[in-house]
Amino acid sequence: MAETTMGSAGPARPSLFLRNATGLVKAWSTFDAFVYSFWSVNLITLGLYGMSFVYTVPDGQLLAGILLFGVLTTFLVITYAMLVSVMPRTGGDYAWQSRVLGGGLGFVLSITGWWFTLFLWAPIYANILVVQFFSPLAYTLGSSGVATFFTSPNGIFVSCLIVLAFVSVVVTMGMETYARIQKICFWIGLGGLVVVCGLLLFASQSDFQSAYNREAASLFGASGNAYQATIDAAAKGGFAGSDFGHFAFGPILLLLPWLAFYLLWPNWGATLYGEVRGAKDIRKPFWSMFWGLWVTVALVALVVLLIVKTIGWNFYQAANAAYWNSIFVAGSPAPPVPIWPYPVMFAGWLIDNSFFQAVLIIVMGLWFFGWAGTLFLSSTRVIFAAAFDRVLPSWAANISAKRRVPYGSLILMIVPSIVISAIYAYKPSFTSVFLDATAVLALTFFATVVAAIILPWRRKDLYDASPIASWKVAGVPAITVVGVITGLFLLFMLYEWSFNAADLYGTTFQATPNSVYYFLATYIVAVVIYVAARIIRKNQGIDLARIHHEIPVE
Amino acid sequence: MPKIFFATDLHGSETCWRKFLNAARFYDCDVLICGGDMTGKAIIPLVEEDGHFTYTLSADQQQVSAAGVGEVEAHIRRKGYYPLRVTPERLAELDESSQVRADTFRQVMLDGVQRWMDLADEKLAGTGVRIFVCPGNDDEFEVDDVIRRAKSVELGEGRLVDIDGFTMISSGWSNPTPWNTHREESEEKLAERIDAMASQVKDPRTAVFNLHCPPYRSGLDEAPAIDADLKLMHGGRALRPVGSKAVRDAIDRYQPLLSLHGHIHESKGAVTLGKTLCINPGSAYEEGMLMAAIIGLDTKKGIKSYQLVNG
Repeated sequence: MAETTMGSAGPARPSLFLRNATGLVKAWSTFDAFVYSFWSVNLITLGLYGMSFVYTVPDGQLLAGILLFGVLTTFLVITYAMLVSVMPRTGGDYAWQSRVLGGGLGFVLSITGWWFTLFLWAPIYANILVVQFFSPLAYTLGSSGVATFFTSPNGIFVSCLIVLAFVSVVVTMGMETYARIQKICFWIGLGGLVVVCGLLLFASQSDFQSAYNREAASLFGASGNAYQATIDAAAKGGFAGSDFGHFAFGPILLLLPWLAFYLLWPNWGATLYGEVRGAKDIRKPFWSMFWGLWVTVALVALVVLLIVKTIGWNFYQAANAAYWNSIFVAGSPAPPVPIWPYPVMFAGWLIDNSFFQAVLIIVMGLWFFGWAGTLFLSSTRVIFAAAFDRVLPSWAANISAKRRVPYGSLILMIVPSIVISAIYAYKPSFTSVFLDATAVLALTFFATVVAAIILPWRRKDLYDASPIASWKVAGVPAITVVGVITGLFLLFMLYEWSFNAADLYGTTFQATPNSVYYFLATYIVAVVIYVAARIIRKNQGIDLARIHHEIPVE
Repeated sequence: MPKIFFATDLHGSETCWRKFLNAARFYDCDVLICGGDMTGKAIIPLVEEDGHFTYTLSADQQQVSAAGVGEVEAHIRRKGYYPLRVTPERLAELDESSQVRADTFRQVMLDGVQRWMDLADEKLAGTGVRIFVCPGNDDEFEVDDVIRRAKSVELGEGRLVDIDGFTMISSGWSNPTPWNTHREESEEKLAERIDAMASQVKDPRTAVFNLHCPPYRSGLDEAPAIDADLKLMHGGRALRPVGSKAVRDAIDRYQPLLSLHGHIHESKGAVTLGKTLCINPGSAYEEGMLMAAIIGLDTKKGIKSYQLVNG
């Protein structure tokens, strides 16, 4: 006989009695969920990489931009937390979109966002690995040949293969093992960040200039005042300078699409498992995502202020402009320090010791290795879901008996990613496609947000039975109100990515036809897969249209 | 040839049970199989005071008049909870005594199952649709007696049943769980229980194993990792295989045409183990959604078609 247990919603008297039954577990630790969310909006890997592009909006006040982005993304967090509370078991963009918008539309939107677009993120991850790990480490250890190899097409392709191999190993070892590795990376990485911040806090700008000029000469053979020469190189490439104290609202808005590169993903871990004792609970997913977002916002603000104080904002922006312009803008001069301006490396230079500098880069590299392993996690889940729905062949969801490796979905991710990585490495004209990787995921989120907006009417049964059914704003369901605000925020960024008159983000339809063709092709392929599956399954006596058909209750 | 509709782990959700019964007509199926764990996990007390009832649902404390309490009870049942009208004195008694709670739980569960059996009679008696129910590890043993007495529903547990030329064996027992539920036993005993039925099956090519617990390491048995305090580990992301080795061995050894499972709600899927198609449709009973599998069987082709649906 199982023991019965009692639960209480209030201190006064019990409002719920529970018995022992399978699956009744206690809530996950908010801290554990926070760690996952925190990794998703990775301050170092995505954050510093994304921040290196904000020089394109020199009048944009970054601190204000980050805070505004945090506020607006909080609405995204609330929207997703509400969706989790309505449909907790089947969470995830694919399930939400399929069940609210319809199976076909759900499949096309989510498969494009979570499968096809994730191919593009493998080379992006690889590029981050090169600029934040391989290159600075190789230069620091005096292996300039290795460093330059990783900036060559072959080197870029090799780094892509390293990322794909790493991701495959993580998928094979399983999330439980990787979660342990993540926690170790989290604490050591945080320790490294404290050291970086400490170095920047206690050094002066003249200390940094001296250190920069010293290392520029020592590691890169630059002569004279490399600090000033970097600013000059940026000016020759068209960068007019940036004043951190300048404040104008318009440019702040233009920063948002850049900030999306790293701050738009606190909801990455929205799909959490488990039947929590008592009732569906909106608080846990909300707070884990909220703190993941806002702790990162706070840390980004801290790092930015320390950069302003010690490195100098105009110099930092100039260094980024000089670096990226030397790659993307024909005729731009090479900067005297021909390496991506990595603030961690700059902080390390404040200590004149190569061993210390190398250790700091390795320690901060844990921000990459604790984060990159989940690259294909969502993709494999979407592929599994589509296979179980019989839209994809059943082998796509196969798992090897011995090691439980999802080899079907891995093949579907890895093989195309290798092809895309080769294109990235050897066809620079396709670069804009990779810049669009953020926009397409934002479009996927937008579809989910639309599903949230119409949920109270489209799936009245689910909504009415949820804990948020009574939440209204002026009589309108709160999920609809929050969803509309989130939708406008996403729409604004989608518009800027697609139509910005100055092509600030390198992604406008007009300037990047390759990108338009690529993404059009992915949507067409997704439609073709779905239509083909409908026809093939119909011949097998299976009607895919009825997967999400509601059976009458009465 | 039989067209089977299989759902499991309804856990007291009356919405799901009603959908289950209506699925026969909706999907044109002639056999309905409920794989176990029919009974709910929670009682919501409605405390009667001063002519009204006070209850808490989804963390909101609410009041309802005596005239409206029936509607609230129906709403609570649809969500998979058992409503219970109590006086403040009875509530205190329930709060203080685990024996009283256990007895009360048993009674409301049996009443609930009886109501479901009556609903089945009401909707499907005389239609020719066969309904099988095999209580799962969360269901108390007295549930079997209620099902045995039902007119339109057949009890599956421990029996070999012929379904249009296919032989189905059923068991709701599972390997040990952290919750120490009603029908749990060691892998060895579970193997003996399954073997006692499976060894009597004449032709595995026409055999259906309706075993509540999924096979170990099949991908149908991945549950969130929990610690000794039943707390989800690693933010609920880490999964572990928790299925039964006895069930896995039985499938590997006998190679039935089809095996039907539940138990692990999060682990929806369909996999092939040798010649056996193994299905766990998953469960989202608390959303009122009926996750299920539709399987077309053919004595010549074996599995004619299958589909997982969210009805």
